[in-house]
Amino acid sequence: MTALLEGRQLARSLPGTPPIVLVAEATLAIEPGTFTTIVGPSGCGKSSLLYLLGLIDHPTGGTLLLDGEDVGALDGDARARLRLERFGFVFQFHFLLPEFTAFENVMLPIRRLGRLDDAAARTRALQLLAAQGLEGKEDETPDRLSGGERQRVAIARALANDPALILGDEPTGNLDSHNSARVVETFKALAHEQGRAVVCVTHDLGIAAASDVRISMLDGRIVAVEHSPRHD
Amino acid sequence: MSGRLPLLLGIAIKHLSRRRRQTLVAVSGVAVGVGFFLAVSAMMIGSQNDFISRLIDAAPHIIISDELRSPPPQPGVRAFPGGAVALHGYKVRNEVRGLKDWPAILAAADALPGAIASPSLTGGVTLRLGGHEEAIGIVGIDPEIEKRISTIETNLRMGRLHDLETVQGGIIIGEELARRLGIGMGDVVSATAASGATRTLRIVGLFKRGQSQLASSSGYVLLREAQSMLGRPFIINRIGIRVADPYMAQTVATGLEARFGYKAESWQERSSDLLSLIVVRDVIMYSVVSAILLVASFGIYTVVSNSVSDKRRDIAIMRSIGFSQADLQLIFIAQGIILSVIGVLLGWLLGTGLMAILGSLDFPIAGEHQTIPLDHGARQYAIAAGASLLAGVVAAWLPARKAARVDPVEILRGAA
Repeated sequence: MTALLEGRQLARSLPGTPPIVLVAEATLAIEPGTFTTIVGPSGCGKSSLLYLLGLIDHPTGGTLLLDGEDVGALDGDARARLRLERFGFVFQFHFLLPEFTAFENVMLPIRRLGRLDDAAARTRALQLLAAQGLEGKEDETPDRLSGGERQRVAIARALANDPALILGDEPTGNLDSHNSARVVETFKALAHEQGRAVVCVTHDLGIAAASDVRISMLDGRIVAVEHSPRHD
Repeated sequence: MSGRLPLLLGIAIKHLSRRRRQTLVAVSGVAVGVGFFLAVSAMMIGSQNDFISRLIDAAPHIIISDELRSPPPQPGVRAFPGGAVALHGYKVRNEVRGLKDWPAILAAADALPGAIASPSLTGGVTLRLGGHEEAIGIVGIDPEIEKRISTIETNLRMGRLHDLETVQGGIIIGEELARRLGIGMGDVVSATAASGATRTLRIVGLFKRGQSQLASSSGYVLLREAQSMLGRPFIINRIGIRVADPYMAQTVATGLEARFGYKAESWQERSSDLLSLIVVRDVIMYSVVSAILLVASFGIYTVVSNSVSDKRRDIAIMRSIGFSQADLQLIFIAQGIILSVIGVLLGWLLGTGLMAILGSLDFPIAGEHQTIPLDHGARQYAIAAGASLLAGVVAAWLPARKAARVDPVEILRGAA
């Protein structure tokens, strides 16, 4: 299968004497329709690798290819545009904008991309919220939603522009087991039923076990890549 | 399709709505700045316009006198311009003072569109009453023309300009001079010219006190009376001209002077020192008002700067979902603009209210009740709005630039 996103010898270090290495020589391929997890102990560089893959951070070495195109050296505006069009992010602390309702939070990336007219944008936002079981919660601000509901709003927002890649940074880290399981099922469905590539940083070995590909990291380096039988 | 700018504007409004107290303080700062700018500038410009209109109207816009700015070239120089020999020490012929060929000058001035020219003769006489003497300058005029080119008719406390024609030997003097001489309306006074000719003049009008242009030591008589008294029949030495556009007076004066050679002095030239004072006044006014608006912009800076500090996490979220650095910068600049626009609108209301109050005040000046002259021109409203918007944008731009430079990785990693 052709890789949607491919990192070759990716590196990220912070200036210093000696430089602080966050990620080193990371070579990996993310394929559509797969649920990939990145695991490892705290501080091993999981989130740093995720930010590099999601074009939020700039690599200090190596090559990053999206659909075969080198995107590692793109300027800020081009990277922002790609994040808007191709990527969806879900973070541990939901990261919704507090002044905006659930509906408005989902509308933000749709309106910023500007491909849909007002009516179509509204319909899409409502459908995404409904798909996450949030009917009737559209006009609630984040402070009036439970942790699980907030994370589902964040997933709806991540899907707003129909991205090819969903990136999660400990998306279940702040949820109870019930909501955590629901999020994992959602991610699996996004990969297996909708053909998206889902990459998730996690400490939870249960989630890792449920994924198609597990990338293990230690001290900024990828030490193992395991494929589940389904993927093979 | 939803536009990018309405979206960014909506986010800016949401941010401000969460900081109501600070927003109110910043908006009030701009409103007070704009309001006081309007009130102060209305007074300054109003009084300035009033002053200039008095300056323009008190005397003819242009006065052509029988003076020359430089001596006329001698016949030898005229005959051989650029000659190799220069003559010195020759005797200059004495010429009779007065405007030569003045009917031609008068006709040329009258021919200017909308212009009116009034001939007059000025000279010195001594008024005697009992043992009291006052040396004054008299101006011989044609009352019907003169009242059309100057405001002397409206500055009469008693009598009319026309009375100079109906009363034999009539003279109009100022109230102060009359008081010094101890005379009033209808009284007679003896006048002696430098030539020794003596006339008996009757007071037919009194100028109001405080009219500096109609000095306390001058009087108006009929032109032919002045010519007779001063022993200069058919001679005039001054032509006053009123032009359609007072601000073109300098150009017209230059043209007439170039054509006829006599000194043609515009009101601008006569009042150049006062006009330069007005420029200084303007500089002071705009400096003070700029300082007020600068202080108001500090309020905007504080609000936007605090907003950027508080919204670092939101900035990181928006960056991660695909908002560009320019988007973030625009959101915070929009906050500055919104604060300025609301401040300007409220400031306009405040300023209009202050002007209404100032306009209703009544001051006793020189024995008359006068109101403060105010300028209600749209220009000042536009200047206040423009300056406030500029101040708002500049004040918001600095923190907005900071917002655009927020590193989302740093925030996201810190929150994780």
